[in-house]
Parts: sequence; structure tokens; C-alpha cells
Amino acid sequence: MSAPALILAALPLPATSGLDHYLVVSALLFAIGFLGVLVRRNTLVIYMSLELMLNASTLAAVAFSRFNGTMEGNVFVFFIITVAAAEVAVGLAIIVALFRLRHTVQVEELATLKS
Amino acid sequence: MPPAQLAALVLLIPLASAAVIALFLRRRGAAAAAISVAAAAGLAAVSLALIFGGQRNFPAAVEWLRLGTFAVSFGVKFDDLAALMLFVVSIVGFLIHVFSLGYMRDDPARGRYFAGLSVFMFSMCGIVLADNLFMLFVFWELVGFSSYLLIGHWYERPSASDAAKKAFIVNRVGDFGFLLGIIACYWLNGTVNLTELAARQAAGGLVFSRAIPLLLFCGAVGKSAQMPLQVWLPDAMEGPTPVSALIHAATMVAAGIYMLCRIQVLMVPDALTAIMWVGTITALYSAVCAIVQTDIKKVLAYSTLSQLGYMVAAFGLGSLMIAHPSPFRAPGGGMAVEPAAVTFQTGTAAAMFHLLTHAFFKALLFLGAGSVIHACHHEQDIFKLGGLARKMPVTFWTFTVGVFAIIGMPFFAGFYSKDAILYLALEKNPLVFAVLVATAILTALYMIRLWRIAFFGEARSDAAAHAHETGPVMTVPLLALATGSVVAGYGWTHPAAFQGVLGQVPEPEGASHWTMVAIGSGAMLIGLLTALAYYRPAGMDPLQARVPVVFGGLRFAQTFFDRIYGYYVDKVQQRLALLLGWIEDVFLAGWLIRGGAGAVGFIGMGARALHVGRLQVYAYWFLLGVALLWGFAAGRF
Repeated sequence: MSAPALILAALPLPATSGLDHYLVVSALLFAIGFLGVLVRRNTLVIYMSLELMLNASTLAAVAFSRFNGTMEGNVFVFFIITVAAAEVAVGLAIIVALFRLRHTVQVEELATLKS
Repeated sequence: MPPAQLAALVLLIPLASAAVIALFLRRRGAAAAAISVAAAAGLAAVSLALIFGGQRNFPAAVEWLRLGTFAVSFGVKFDDLAALMLFVVSIVGFLIHVFSLGYMRDDPARGRYFAGLSVFMFSMCGIVLADNLFMLFVFWELVGFSSYLLIGHWYERPSASDAAKKAFIVNRVGDFGFLLGIIACYWLNGTVNLTELAARQAAGGLVFSRAIPLLLFCGAVGKSAQMPLQVWLPDAMEGPTPVSALIHAATMVAAGIYMLCRIQVLMVPDALTAIMWVGTITALYSAVCAIVQTDIKKVLAYSTLSQLGYMVAAFGLGSLMIAHPSPFRAPGGGMAVEPAAVTFQTGTAAAMFHLLTHAFFKALLFLGAGSVIHACHHEQDIFKLGGLARKMPVTFWTFTVGVFAIIGMPFFAGFYSKDAILYLALEKNPLVFAVLVATAILTALYMIRLWRIAFFGEARSDAAAHAHETGPVMTVPLLALATGSVVAGYGWTHPAAFQGVLGQVPEPEGASHWTMVAIGSGAMLIGLLTALAYYRPAGMDPLQARVPVVFGGLRFAQTFFDRIYGYYVDKVQQRLALLLGWIEDVFLAGWLIRGGAGAVGFIGMGARALHVGRLQVYAYWFLLGVALLWGFAAGRF
């Protein structure tokens, strides 16, 4: 058996996974994304971290939808994916324009709001 | 023409004259004078048509403004009282307008002067005709305004502009009470309409209160210059002499008396007693002050105060005779009595009778003084005049008629009207009677002093030596007023139009008639003979030369009130104002306004520190905000 399989086998994992597991994963994803937004300096990476936070919320929505046996969560996910796609198109365009203008995408150099 | 339209014309003619002069003719004195005098003539003609047209108490009112349930009408109440007053105002006013043509001939600001006269005639007629207290108050302020304008006509002189301000400010004090009285009247009775008040009084449904008549009387105290607000009238002599004759002798200062007569239905015995004493004390005090004056107009000013005191005392005295059905009856609890026509009380009648004769003889005296001042190049000191009897015969003889009328010489008008007042006093209050008789003695004393020193002996200055009689435009009004000063006293000359008022003048009968004649003539003769014996035409007051202590004492009494008011304004009011100003600076401006602005600025400085310009710092603030919101939603704080 490979090493990861051994680790998984050694952990006392439950046989089936419930709502709590999904929510924990979602919260971890969200926290990782937010930490990325806070600490990374490259605008593109911050952008990717934001996407990660969005996906964390979609995961939570799907989990709730499954848990409740209703479709609202799934519908929400589609909306979020659609809006996120549109947002990525606009956001990346802005970042490209910003790079052309300033020749950098590092946030510490983008401080003209207060200078 | 219907009477309501005539009444409207009475107001509109002088108003139109004032407007035309003020808008187009300020620089064209001759045209302004012509228009103003023509307006006064037209006003007199319309007034006579209205007075002798026989129409009384005709309905004429339009709603002017409405504040909730309080509707102010602009209306006319025209009874015999208003007719008499309108007669005085329009006739005497017209004669003084004519006199002004001569007196103000060389004045560079004639346009302003005649516009002021027209404004005054408009506002005075408004007071006479007003059918409610609110409208009366509006015109009351307007006469005060025109008085201010005309006292300060020669505003280049600091004394004239100061006198104008003083007159205005002192009147404000009285008018504040007047306004409170109007409010009290509306508060208690729900109306300020004079006709409605009279109807309620007749029906027994009027709420009586001491406050209403006394507060309204405050207005009369200011306007008629009664004590303690008498200080403005002597100073008001800074205005041109015809103005003193018209406003500060014959009409405006008499408006206070007229207003009292208008509100006689509101009177209660206590208020009347107070009014009586105020008038009596004013009469005596002013007569005492008049003895030591050297300025011809100041003597006349103090005599005006004294005569106004007589009128106020007469009002207070006579109306004590009437007993209200039940003075303090609860509202609405009255018997169903037919609202009878309101009759004028004896006090009102005596006061108005004296007002009528006084308007003639005092206007005459002032115009005579004006004629003297004009002839002597504005020399007003009687000790620098002298010898004018031969040089100015018409002025001298008409002035003599005026003097005889005011001191109560038999067969002159003042004798009869003063007699009526003294008779009322004799019947009602012996002490008041004694004071008024003493005042009559003093009146004869100071008037004969003035007459003898100013007109007899040798001319004591160049101006007096070169004086000559003034032209007919000034002597004709003198002659007309002199005629009035004689005939106005006889009952048979009073037209039927005034019988509602003058028919009520108390006349002693039988033995008391001769008692009154003896007392009146005796008082007059004592004063007259004393003055003739003591005062001789000279360059100095003999009283001042021989007994300077008495003279100085009387001078002190004259300036006493001015000193008190000066002290009050300077030492009390000014310091209080400084204190209040300091408190305002420290607390209001310092703490509240600057402190508040400072606190907001401080918060702003703090908030500005949060704004650092780094993208991720805002993300931290965002995180903090979410945490706070979460904590709040979870009920942590």
C-alpha cells in the first residue's frame, strides 16, 4: 500500500461521511482562502484565494442542499459559478490593464489611495 | 358716497400722498409740499363729509389675516368718539400742514418732511378709525415710526437723532405692555374687536380683569408720556416746531387718551384708580418742571405733559361713577339684557372735551412759538427774546389767546374743559382735586412767565431785535386756531355730531356752578398775579438769581428720571448685558459650539488614522467588522 493509503487507514475515519465533515472542509477552504487574501502580495494570487473562498461557500451550499433534500442549494451554486465566471473575466481584465499601466501587480506598490 | 368708502378715502388720501412723495418727489420739495397740503385739505373735506354725514357704526370690515381661530379684521368703528377725534386730527392737521409751508420753506429736505407728515396723518387716522385692538396697535406703531422720522428730521444734529431714538425706545417699553394687554384681552374674552367687547359688556358676558386695562394703559403711558415714561416728550422738541404742534401736542400724544376712551368697557375700578393717580401725579410733576425751563418749546412740552395728565386723571375720575353690573361675574353667566347702545361715561367725555380744547390751544401755542422761532432765526431761549409784542402783533395776540385758554381764563375754551375735570375731581376725590387745583395755579404761573418774558420788555438779542411778523401762510393758521381756542369751550358751538360724547360732559349746577367758577378763576388768578409780580422781562430767571437752591432743586427734579434711567441703563442693564455676553462667549460659543465642533473634529482625526491606503489593511478592518457584527448578532454585547 502506498503511504497516503497507510495514513488514511491508520486514522480513525468514520465509515460514512455526514454534514459536519463537509462543513469542516468548507470552513478550512474558506479560512485558507481568506488567509491567502490577507497575506499574499501578488494580486493574481489574491484573486485565486478569493475564488477558493467562493468555492468553499459553494461546497457548504451543496452540503446543505443534500442534507435538507431540497434543490435551493444546488441552484445557488449554479448562480455562484455563473457570477464567478463573469467576475473572473472582468477581474482579470482589470489586472491586465493595471499591469500595463503600472508594470506591477504587487499590492504593496499599489497604494496610491493614500500616498 | 357710502360712509365706508369715505372712511377708506380718509386712510387712502394721506397714504397715497406719502407714497407719491416717497417714490417720486424726494428731491422736489415744492411739489412734495403742494401734494401733502392738498392731501391734508382733501382729508379734511372727506372727514367733514363723513362726520356730518350722520352715519354712525356702519359695518365696514374685511378679514385681513387669519391665524387658526384668531381672525384679524381690518375694519372701521365710527361712533361719536371717533368722529370727534377725526375732527381734531383732520382740522388741526390741515392747519399745521399750511403752517409748515411757511416754516419749512427754506429747508433742504422738505420732501422727506412732508412725506413724514402724510405718513403720520395716515397712521393717526388709522388709530382713530380702527375697530379692533390689533389694528389699533399696528397704527399705534406707525405713528411712533412717523414720530421717530419727524423728531429726527434734522438728523445732522446729534441731539435730534438721540431724541428720536429715545422717543422710539421709551415708547417700545409702553407698547410691550400694550401688546401684552391685547393678548390678555384675547385670552380672556376671545375677541379684540371693540364693538364685540362693548356688546358683551352690555350683555354682562365680559370677563373683567385688572390686568387687561392696566396693561393696555401701559401703551397710553408711553404714547401720552405719562409718568414714569414721560422722559421722551421734552426731548422730542428737537423736531421742527410744526411737528411738535401736530404730533407732540395736539394729536399723537392725545392718542393715548383716545385709546383709553375706546376701551372704557374693559375698565375696572382698581384700574381706574391707578389711571387717575398716574394722571394726577404727572400733571403736578410736569407743571413743577415747566417753571424752570428756559427753552420756549420745553415750557410748552412740559405744559403738554401736564395737560395730558389732566386728561388721564379725568378719564380715571369720571368713569368711577359707573358701576359695572357685576364686575367679576363668571363668563356667560349674565342676564339676557338687550345690548344697548354704549353711552360714553362722564370721564371719557371730560377727557375728550379737554383733548378737543387742548388740541386747539396747544397747537396754537406751538405754532405761535414756531412763528417766534422762525422770526428770530431759531433762537429758542426766552431770556434772549423779548420785545416781540410790538414787532409781531398777530403772533402776540394769538399766542395770548392760547395762554389765556391754557391757564383757564374765563370765556376761553380751556376754562370750561378744565372746569369739567376739576368738578369731577371735587365730587370723587378731594385729594386729587387739591392736586389738580395746585397744578392749575402752577399752569398759570409758568405760562404767564413765558408770555411776559418772551414778548415784553426790550429785545435781548440781535435776532429778537430784527424780528418781524411772519407771512400770512403762518398767521392764518394761528388765527384759525385762536378762534377754535375760544369757541371750542362753549357747549352751543358743539355740533350735534359730537353730542354722544360732549353731551356727557359733567356740568355743575346751581351753587356748585359758582363754586367751581370761583375756584377755577381763583387758582388761575393766584398763578397769574404771582407770575406778574415775580417775573419781569430780563436776561435771567429771577428765581435762579435770588434763590438758586430752589431753582437747582427744581432742575434736579426735572432731570431726576433721566438720571435714574441713565444709571439703570449704564450701570445695571449694561453690566447685565456684559455678563450675559460673557456667559454666551464661554458656555454657548465656547463649550457648546466650539466644543461640539472640536469633538467631531477629534473623532474625524481618529477615523482618518484608520485610512492607511494599503489594500490588505482594509481586509483586516473587514474581518474586524465581521467579528463585531457576529458578536452583536450572537448577543455577546
